[in-house]
Amino acid sequence: MKKNKLTFWAFVGPCLLAFIIVVIIPLIFGVYYSFTDWNGINADLTYVGISNYLELFSDKHFVNSFIFTTKFTIVSVILINVTGFSLALLVTRGLKMSNLLRTIFFMPNLIGGLILGFIWQFIFINAFASLGEYTGQMWLMGWLSTTKTSFWGLLILMTWQLSGYVMVIYIAAIQGIPKELLEAAQIDGANTWQRVKSIMLPLVRPAFTISLFLTLSNSFKLYDQNLSLTGGAPARSSEMLAMNIYNTAFSFMKFGEAQAKAVIFLIIVGIFTLSQVYISKKGEVEM
Amino acid sequence: MKTKYLLVMSLVFVFSLSMLVSAVEVDIFQFKVETKDVLEKAAELYMEKNPDVRLNIQTVGGGDDYGAALRSRFASGNEPVIFNVGGPQDIDDWMDYLEDLSSEPWVDLAYKGVLDGVTVDGKIYGLPFNQEGYGFIYNKTIFQEAGIDPEVITSYDALVAALDKLEDQKGKLGLKAPIAFPAKEKWVTGLHLSNVAFSQEFGDVLTAYKADEVEFTYGEELKLLVDLQADYGYKPAGTKASLNAVDYSTQVDELFSLGQVAVIQQGNWVYASIASMDEELAVNIGILPLPLKGVVEDSIPVGVPMYWAVNKNRKAAEKEAAKDFLNWLYTSDKGKEMIINEFKFIPALSGYEGLKPSDPLAEDILEYSEAEKTISWVFMGYPSGWGEQILGANLQAYLAGDISWNELEENCKEEWSDVRK
Repeated sequence: MKKNKLTFWAFVGPCLLAFIIVVIIPLIFGVYYSFTDWNGINADLTYVGISNYLELFSDKHFVNSFIFTTKFTIVSVILINVTGFSLALLVTRGLKMSNLLRTIFFMPNLIGGLILGFIWQFIFINAFASLGEYTGQMWLMGWLSTTKTSFWGLLILMTWQLSGYVMVIYIAAIQGIPKELLEAAQIDGANTWQRVKSIMLPLVRPAFTISLFLTLSNSFKLYDQNLSLTGGAPARSSEMLAMNIYNTAFSFMKFGEAQAKAVIFLIIVGIFTLSQVYISKKGEVEM
Repeated sequence: MKTKYLLVMSLVFVFSLSMLVSAVEVDIFQFKVETKDVLEKAAELYMEKNPDVRLNIQTVGGGDDYGAALRSRFASGNEPVIFNVGGPQDIDDWMDYLEDLSSEPWVDLAYKGVLDGVTVDGKIYGLPFNQEGYGFIYNKTIFQEAGIDPEVITSYDALVAALDKLEDQKGKLGLKAPIAFPAKEKWVTGLHLSNVAFSQEFGDVLTAYKADEVEFTYGEELKLLVDLQADYGYKPAGTKASLNAVDYSTQVDELFSLGQVAVIQQGNWVYASIASMDEELAVNIGILPLPLKGVVEDSIPVGVPMYWAVNKNRKAAEKEAAKDFLNWLYTSDKGKEMIINEFKFIPALSGYEGLKPSDPLAEDILEYSEAEKTISWVFMGYPSGWGEQILGANLQAYLAGDISWNELEENCKEEWSDVRK
């Protein structure tokens, strides 16, 4: 028993220590700073109570980026998962090119978010414009210059990047479905759609839980793609929450207020993701 | 044989150890990426002459990123000896760390006004990097082909006439538009362009920094300059909203360098990138004034982008070495020669007579300076983030047609007084 305890702490200890140093302690400091008027340099802080938190509600940019982020998250979670699941269905059908396709679909995920943002910025601004000029399609011109095109630009980028990743999760889940079940259904006369709907979808539920969680938290916390693709343009209308917090700290030099925003942000992300996991867990079926 | 070898090695070891111990380490944390290599070269030269000093240079790119990186350097306890500050706001923020440089030899050499932003209660806390200027950079060859004499463009109306001429001959000259207006770059619009109006409203950077409110005294005139660049600007989708998609590299590296537009609002820092695209074009460019109609029409804004500062809390020996290096760089003969020919700086100090800047934009700026046709930079005195994130962002909304000019002024006034209240 004693030895067991020792092994337990030997394995957990280092991780726990690292976790406390890089997550818990900064978190406590962060909460502390959110009640001060810190400017990021001085050690002499003034305690300002909850005024930083009250400030948030009158900050219309913060409210706007909250709305933008929420809208973005809803659409991107749906788009990424639908695309990822469809790709998974496509590459598990036993096609000759399956392995090649899997690699290709997964590839965007290997490129860093910042670089992807710049690549897509080039595509949206230059390639789209040249294409538009050539074909006379005016809707291809001036991408990322309006809120709408920025919104869809970000969505296209994120879907392109993340659907390959969730595809891998779905592939694993689909391959875990016993062949007999599908065959039996086929013999009973179920068509492809019926098999997907009544057998595959319920059985890959656990994969949905994890993919939804990943895409939800990823989309909500998005920063690097947002920075490199739109930078919040035009007129800060595509500025997502993480970026709004960064700007509050490093452009407006209001570190206390930025910390308050970060605390609220943490709570919101927590509520969103935990309730999602709770809800989707409830519907999972065990075999 | 072997003992001899060992003896030599240990001597070398002891010698290098003593070098390390006696050397004064000076960490330099600076923002100017463009001159990183030359600065390192200058540091090498200085270390050859002063073997007891070791200069370690670290560079982090401009804008917000430098401020963020500098803060984390200080927060981590690894404080640099030499660092950069931008203007009154930085001076205020970093006051606890700034060494008083008032008794340095270069102070008396500084041109009038260049130290205003770093002077508090008569004490001077920063050495100006250099001077930079901006205005409407134009393509001389295109102007000649269009039959426009740049000499006469010393007023708003003359500029409009010239742009009209370019617009009319667009096809013949192979232009997409007369101007490229990068509304995506909020520093070009919110800081540089707006400076033309606010330098007249406030007069100098310290007044701007202390102002509780902004009046937009010359708001109408500023609107004229925005509309002018928007009307004659290259619009990717034909709408004014699409100006928000034009960025710096589209403006400078693409449209202007390829001769697809004839005029851009930029400064002497673009010379290197134009020269790397087209050397012949790079020698055939000049700067036209940035005219604020009816107020000041024949001048360009010239100012100091950043200052060198010395960290007060470091050891005396380190501070001495730091000051000596800065002095050497800006006042010794070798240093001066490097400042002009390799850094390609326009000096903010006198005493550089006989050394001529090598690029046409720097030459033009010097000419404006000598004729005293310059206006000051006040954007360092705006509230933090106001110029780009408030005014620049509102200008994008104005161009997109989401808000009117009046709403823009109201929004910006409100945010300014919110911060300064």
